[in-house]
Amino acid sequence: MSVNNETKPSIWEKLQTLDRRILYGVLIVLTAASLFIHVEIPVNPERNSKDFYISLMDVPQDKIIVIESDWTNSTRGETAGHMETLLRIVMSKGHKFAIYSIADAQAPQVARDVIQRINAEREEQGLKVYKPWVDYVEVGYSANAEGQHNSMANDVRQAWGSHKERDEAGVERSVLESPVLAGVRQIGDVGMLVVVSASSTIDTAVERMGGKVNMGFMVTGVMGPNALPYYQAGLINGIAVGLRGNYDIEYMMEYGLNYEGPDGKVKNAYVEKRDKVIPPFTEGSTFGRGARYFLPLHVALGLMILAIILGNVAMFVSKSKGAK
Amino acid sequence: MNLLAQAADPRLNFWGRETGSAALTAIFIALAVGFLLMFAIMRVPTRARRPIVWFFTFFCGSFYVLYYLWPRPVDYQPDEVPQGTVEQVGVFLNDALPRFANIANLLTYILLCLGVFSLARIHTSKFIKKQKDWPFSVVLLVSMLTMAVVGYWNFFLEINDFEGKLMDPENWSMVGYANDMLFDGLIQQMDAAMFSMIAFFILSAAFRAFRIRSIEATVMMASALILMLSLMGAVDFLWSGMIDSVTGGEKASFLNNFRLDVVSSWVKSYLQIPSIRALDFGVGLGALAMGLRIWLGLERGGVSV
Repeated sequence: MSVNNETKPSIWEKLQTLDRRILYGVLIVLTAASLFIHVEIPVNPERNSKDFYISLMDVPQDKIIVIESDWTNSTRGETAGHMETLLRIVMSKGHKFAIYSIADAQAPQVARDVIQRINAEREEQGLKVYKPWVDYVEVGYSANAEGQHNSMANDVRQAWGSHKERDEAGVERSVLESPVLAGVRQIGDVGMLVVVSASSTIDTAVERMGGKVNMGFMVTGVMGPNALPYYQAGLINGIAVGLRGNYDIEYMMEYGLNYEGPDGKVKNAYVEKRDKVIPPFTEGSTFGRGARYFLPLHVALGLMILAIILGNVAMFVSKSKGAK
Repeated sequence: MNLLAQAADPRLNFWGRETGSAALTAIFIALAVGFLLMFAIMRVPTRARRPIVWFFTFFCGSFYVLYYLWPRPVDYQPDEVPQGTVEQVGVFLNDALPRFANIANLLTYILLCLGVFSLARIHTSKFIKKQKDWPFSVVLLVSMLTMAVVGYWNFFLEINDFEGKLMDPENWSMVGYANDMLFDGLIQQMDAAMFSMIAFFILSAAFRAFRIRSIEATVMMASALILMLSLMGAVDFLWSGMIDSVTGGEKASFLNNFRLDVVSSWVKSYLQIPSIRALDFGVGLGALAMGLRIWLGLERGGVSV
């Protein structure tokens, strides 16, 4: 007695009706397992990441960096790494910095946690620990992005003047009296404004302050396409997009830019800016969250590509079988 | 006008008040006047509210229109006295902008409070009337209240910690631990968990729905694959390395156009970014038209109450 092929589904047909929980399980197991594997993945940093890095490294020593921290832990896979990398660079270069938030009321506390984490890391490495008021100052949270950016573009001292923080002696004073903001009158007096964001506050930042201050973005992969037109138009100096952008920066911190290593090879060559040579970092950590999550990103993306291919092959095979 | 503009005498400068009891009195008076105005507006017949709302909308909108269109004093120094009406108005607009921003901030905070009040009112009523899913309302109210109490308590402890002892978790009280558990241990982790769920849906959708059924779908899939591969640094590195080995590192070689970073950059620069710009341009024009309609009171929805 012959078996009817119609009643026995092929592997491709079975794939078409695969339970989604199996897919979820595969994703959990593979990405979680890859978190435990530490490998250094070689990359060619993207041009926008290189420009961001150059812009940050070019800030003169006596200038402060202003950080707009507009993210919470919902995007920590990308933005927590951005913030940590940024603080490592800023602290290693010895810049004072001011930090404020706009998008979310949780953002100031989340940023504070990262500062504490990097300070603890530096203390462990025997490096200088950044002190509030003296080395950095928090300028607080504003609920209205449009108004705040407009105000900063107009007069940064008036925009921040009403915010008070405690000085070293515990006395509450206007943040303008902090040594960090000494000499800052206009936003243009700031060395660089870095917006670490997972939201659309980047739009108003560019609209109101574009052209008035050196600006760089560290944004999530989702916000990247929104922010790239600003980079292409020259309104911002550079941009690190998503986890890839974070790893690019870490990779350049580790190996430098256009820098000839001990083996005589130039890593992270930037052909258009060949004369811009930045040596690797010699103190503090370079690889961090970006390096830790880069392999899981590869796994997740690889799995997605595989899912797309398998889904389509299964569809074509089923179709051709149906046609026969 | 001198009262509002940057006057030579600081006592006449509306914005230059020193903080202290006088300023505090002024704040209380302003608050009382604000409440009185609010109650007065609530008593006004519905039809008469419309012009009042339009007047305030027009006034606030006019400020920003003037701010951007009025000639600005060049290289103006704070100790300078503005000369003539044009300069005085220009200086006033510049000086008043941060205050306008502060007022906008305050309005946003009031909206936040309004949101909290509205949420509490709706869920309290749901709980009292034992409407459908009322236990969820109880969870929401209890969570909100607990976080607010613990958060404020911890905040007051922190602002009175002059020596910075609370920076070290060893010196935390129960409130410190409770705040840490609720904020860092729960809210933040739940935030991350919510967001990470997207990965599962995307994978499932990629497997079930991302199918080559038309030319458009094929183009979209090809672009998506190129961009996804370019995000995988290792693939990008190997692919480019392969091309380099064929071209021998010759920068002018035609094959360099097929490096993954070059292809993905082309897709982004010539397909993605122009499309986003076009969208932004359309949105911008729409926002401008809508802004004008609201400002001039032509948008019924914008000013109806």
